[in-house]
This record gives sequence, C-alpha cells and structure tokens, in this order.
Amino acid sequence: MGGKCPHRSVKKRRYSHKTARRTKFLVKGDDAVYDELHKGEGERKQLPVDEDLPGMGQYYCLHCDRYFASVAVRDEHFKTKRHRKRLKQMMGPAPHTQLDAELAAGMGMPDNGPKLMSM
Amino acid sequence: MRLEKCWFCSSTIYPGHGIQFVRNDAKIFRFCRSKCHKNFKMKRNPRKVKWTKAYRRLHGKDMTQDATFEFERKRNRPERYDRNVTENTLKAIKKIDKVRVDREARHHAKRMKGKKAQLQREAAKELEQSIHMVKAPAALQQEPSLTLPKLKVKVSQQQTEDNRMEE
Repeated sequence: MGGKCPHRSVKKRRYSHKTARRTKFLVKGDDAVYDELHKGEGERKQLPVDEDLPGMGQYYCLHCDRYFASVAVRDEHFKTKRHRKRLKQMMGPAPHTQLDAELAAGMGMPDNGPKLMSM
Repeated sequence: MRLEKCWFCSSTIYPGHGIQFVRNDAKIFRFCRSKCHKNFKMKRNPRKVKWTKAYRRLHGKDMTQDATFEFERKRNRPERYDRNVTENTLKAIKKIDKVRVDREARHHAKRMKGKKAQLQREAAKELEQSIHMVKAPAALQQEPSLTLPKLKVKVSQQQTEDNRMEE
C-alpha cells in the first residue's frame, strides 16, 4: 500500500505510507480472528446491514477481516494468495496470548477461586 | 502490587517499568522494554523468536514440567491478611526458589552433556570401515614408495620477521 505524493521531488520520500498505517490499526488482531473462527458456526451472528461498509457489510471475509462489494468480488478474493496464506495460518496453532507468556514464565494456571452462582 | 509478565518475552515487569498497550477490544498487552514492544509492533511471533521464553519452552531448551511451577500463579481472589500465613509464605518463597533454580541447573547440565555415546559409536564405525587407509609404521619403513619424499626448501622468512620486530 501507500499512495503517490505528487509534490515530492526527493525520490525516496515520494510515497506516502500513511494509508498503510491507518489500516494497521483498523484490522482485527490475529488472536481475535482466531477466536471468532473457532467459536463455531451456530454462535456466529448474522451480518448486520451497515450502509457505511462496502456492499452494505454483507460480503465479509472472516479470515482477512475485509468487506467486499459483491459476492463475485469476495469469491475472487478467496482465490488470492494472500487469503490462502491467511487460511493456512488460521488452520495452525492458536496465536500467542498473555496466558501463554505466563505459562512460559513458569507460572501455573490462574486461580480464579470457586465458581459463583450464575445468574 | 502485582508483578506482571511481559507479553513477548515472559520476563517479570516490576512497577514503573515497561509500557502497556490496550487494543481497541480492551485487551491489554504489557511489555517489559522497548525491545519487546518493537517486536510486537513488527507483528513477530514470540514462538519463533529465539530469545523469548515461549521459544525456549517450545523447543525443549528450558525445563517444562515441574511441581515448582504450580506455586507462582495469578490469584484472582481476595485473601484476608494473616500475619502468620504471610510469614510462612515469605519463608517458603526462598526455599521453593532455591529448589527451582537447582532443578533448572540440573536440567541445563543434562541438556549440555552432549551425545557422547553416539559420537563414540560413530567413531568406532568409521575406524572399522577405513582401517585400510592406516598403514602400520613398520610397513612404511620397509616400503619407501608409500611415503612422500622429503623436500628441502630454503627458508627466507627469517629476515623479514626480524625487520618487523625492529619496527
């Protein structure tokens, strides 16, 4: 990513990387996507209609966290290398979490006390 | 006061150290130093970075299963203060820590011992397979064709070395 800045004479600095940076913070993290994928089919909600998103937010790729304008475009996306790479990554082991970090540091599982009555 | 662990390298973060990042889904990521924070921003996987605890655990470099790991844990329940319990705990911490350090040292020594038996076996096999290349010294003396003729070469390096010493 990164668009062209027309008024830059210095060749090195001609490309703006700000668009890439914006998307960096807007995309979902790997662990969030992984959790969503492993929640199971039944628990997933129907996609809400959102007019701000491309295609009213109806054509969504869960793995890549992207919205598409139509079914055709989405299916085209499913064939891309980037998507397949992502698919493979999500098939693998769960992403690193804080719990993993603590276990690696030689801590036991957290002690949350007895389960309270569920309301 | 709680001593947290670094998300990336699993080291202990003491109060007033490191930085924490709260993602927009309210997940907290704590980092012990800027090195770990930078590595996180580069989206590196701690399981693939060799200096992290996660890597070392996963690849059998560190001790993984031990009873001493059960003592330190996040306790998310309030405990009524008791002077005696606190005193005993403080005593136990020292003892348990010593046990753990000793066991870790033993694990490391065991890991570093190397595969002596395997190397010995391989060496013995090589010797047996290529013993024909080795000639007995008596055989060499009898047949001069087996040894290379000695050549006499004039050495003129002595002078240059002396010059260098003078400088």
